[in-house]
Amino acid sequence: MGLRSKARLACVCAACGLVLCARAAAAQVLQGQPIVLGNGAVTLSGDFSASTGLDDPGFYNYTDYQSTDAAQELESADSSLRRVRAALSGRVKAGDHFSFLGELRIQSAGSSQIWDSRPEASALYVRIRPWVDRALDIQVGRIPPTFGAFGRRPYTSDNLLVGYPLGYQYLTSLRPDAIPANADELLRMRGRGWLSNFSVGNPIPQRGVPLAATFRWDTGIQIHGTTDMIDATASITTGTLANPLVKDDNSGRQIAGRVAVHPIVGLVVGASASRGPFFATNAVRAATTQDPDTFTQTAWGADAEYSRGYYLLRAEAIVSRWTLPAVRAPFIDGPVRATSVSVEGRYKILPGLYAAARVDHLGFSTITGTAGPRTWDAPVDRLETGAGYYVQRNVLLKGSYQFDRRDTNRVPRSHLAGAEVVFWF
Amino acid sequence: MLSSPRRGLASAFVCLVAVLAVLEAPTDGALAPQRPGGPRAGAIRGRVELRSVAPPPVQRPNVSDLGGPDRREVERPQSVLYLETAPRGAFEQPEPGRARLDQRNETFVPHVLAVTTGTIVDFPNSDRIYHNVLSYSKTARFDLGRYAAGRSKAVRFDKAGIVRVFCDIHSHMSAFILVFSHPFFAVTDEEGRYRIDGVPPGTYNVAAWNDRASFDTRTVTVAEGAAAQLDFAPR
Repeated sequence: MGLRSKARLACVCAACGLVLCARAAAAQVLQGQPIVLGNGAVTLSGDFSASTGLDDPGFYNYTDYQSTDAAQELESADSSLRRVRAALSGRVKAGDHFSFLGELRIQSAGSSQIWDSRPEASALYVRIRPWVDRALDIQVGRIPPTFGAFGRRPYTSDNLLVGYPLGYQYLTSLRPDAIPANADELLRMRGRGWLSNFSVGNPIPQRGVPLAATFRWDTGIQIHGTTDMIDATASITTGTLANPLVKDDNSGRQIAGRVAVHPIVGLVVGASASRGPFFATNAVRAATTQDPDTFTQTAWGADAEYSRGYYLLRAEAIVSRWTLPAVRAPFIDGPVRATSVSVEGRYKILPGLYAAARVDHLGFSTITGTAGPRTWDAPVDRLETGAGYYVQRNVLLKGSYQFDRRDTNRVPRSHLAGAEVVFWF
Repeated sequence: MLSSPRRGLASAFVCLVAVLAVLEAPTDGALAPQRPGGPRAGAIRGRVELRSVAPPPVQRPNVSDLGGPDRREVERPQSVLYLETAPRGAFEQPEPGRARLDQRNETFVPHVLAVTTGTIVDFPNSDRIYHNVLSYSKTARFDLGRYAAGRSKAVRFDKAGIVRVFCDIHSHMSAFILVFSHPFFAVTDEEGRYRIDGVPPGTYNVAAWNDRASFDTRTVTVAEGAAAQLDFAPR
């Protein structure tokens, strides 16, 4: 075992040790609390989850989470049904105006085990509150998503089921570092988002992107203000909704905004928008002489949540449009569009026991290739239903059944089942 | 932070009290004060001086939180004093009462509530947002669902022990309900003072419980018609 592997193993052991210590403490009183140090200046919390499920030969549940280990790049796509993840979150308060927040995460990815993965700062930012008595915050660094609602539920305990909404997880064939030369090339990759390749730009097969990334966060500056009725957020970041980045791959910036209103107690209705250059400069330069910043991802979102008594209902829609360079015939006519709609609900049957279900649809616009018009990626439908049981306040067991349907020849139907244990403090 | 052995000990002790109380084991042959012709009841009073307490429960550092107002109230550390072994006849109680655990500014008020078995506790929501009161404790497992401001739901506690109460929506909200099978207990006031009345003459072990300090027990003798002084200074 090399030094780096030992270091990773040590990190895993340290994280697990911390989790187990907290769990032992929690077991004494049926609850684990965050660790508080320095008279309240430092707060640490942990989140551990492990899921297992049936083999997913259609790659329906593969995500855009990727190992940062270069040797694992080709196998970097991971399935949300087979994953082990440990995260340590921290907040350091530096007076009334400043606090630093971060999350260190390790996660199994693809065929690699959790101890092979490198700890990653999945979130790291400073929160500035200019006026102590006003609910206005400025956040700078690797910040939480501005767009939509589901993206800000990063903890496994926030997800009602084992699988994720298609719009936030399912990999389309589009890639920021490679561009289809024509409509036929894009159509050839229908239903191949888990390992897509195009002739312009990076020729190595890689995973595509979802409509909105939730497992990786963008880097930039964000401002958030809230009143009793309205939440408003705006941000400028380096990446895009589908491809958040730490280091920019083009010269453009994404602008995103979200407004949410609370007209009555229990109801939240939100609307979001974002726009930013999607393709890497190198890929665009290989395709055209046009300015790379003109090839953008533009997205609109709407979300709603209503809860009352033992019910919780959520709905979210995303419409995303990508502008691609025209390289050669048959050309891709105009921007390509993808639309995702997700509706999920939960009902608490008994104290600690709930049932949940989610219905998803992911559709794509039509382009015309040599063989005629066709959607540029294969539409997908998903039904997932399951249950969760709280062993104690901070230990949750989940199980779910998932049916997927896709308009392709390769694994057009899939019946999957998964189970997950989640622990946090 | 509380050390786990302390909390474990506290939980074990309360369970022990519950068991003993149910068995109605007498101490030194002491009698309940209500018995006609019996000795006049005394009292135990004193003060709990908390030299160092663990910080109150805090919000998880949720990195996806976009910020917002901090509505929380300051939780005053409260202790519960109780007789570890209740006198004979302590269970001849009148009708069980009603108590209240409010949800205000994303805080349960009070943080600690002590009641006798059979008590119905109301959980009104005084905030403008939803709360969802629940407990997965062995003593009482319940989930009241989400309800808005001005509404209230109630739970009857029939089993002695510790009930840890949470809000399903706000992870930093928590409270304790200590359910006793006998009436010989008291919760400290703002200055840490307490008084347990109606205690029959005898020698008792008195326990001081606090969720943010160490568990402590001391022995005291209550004379007929007198108030015994018993102070605590848990670490």
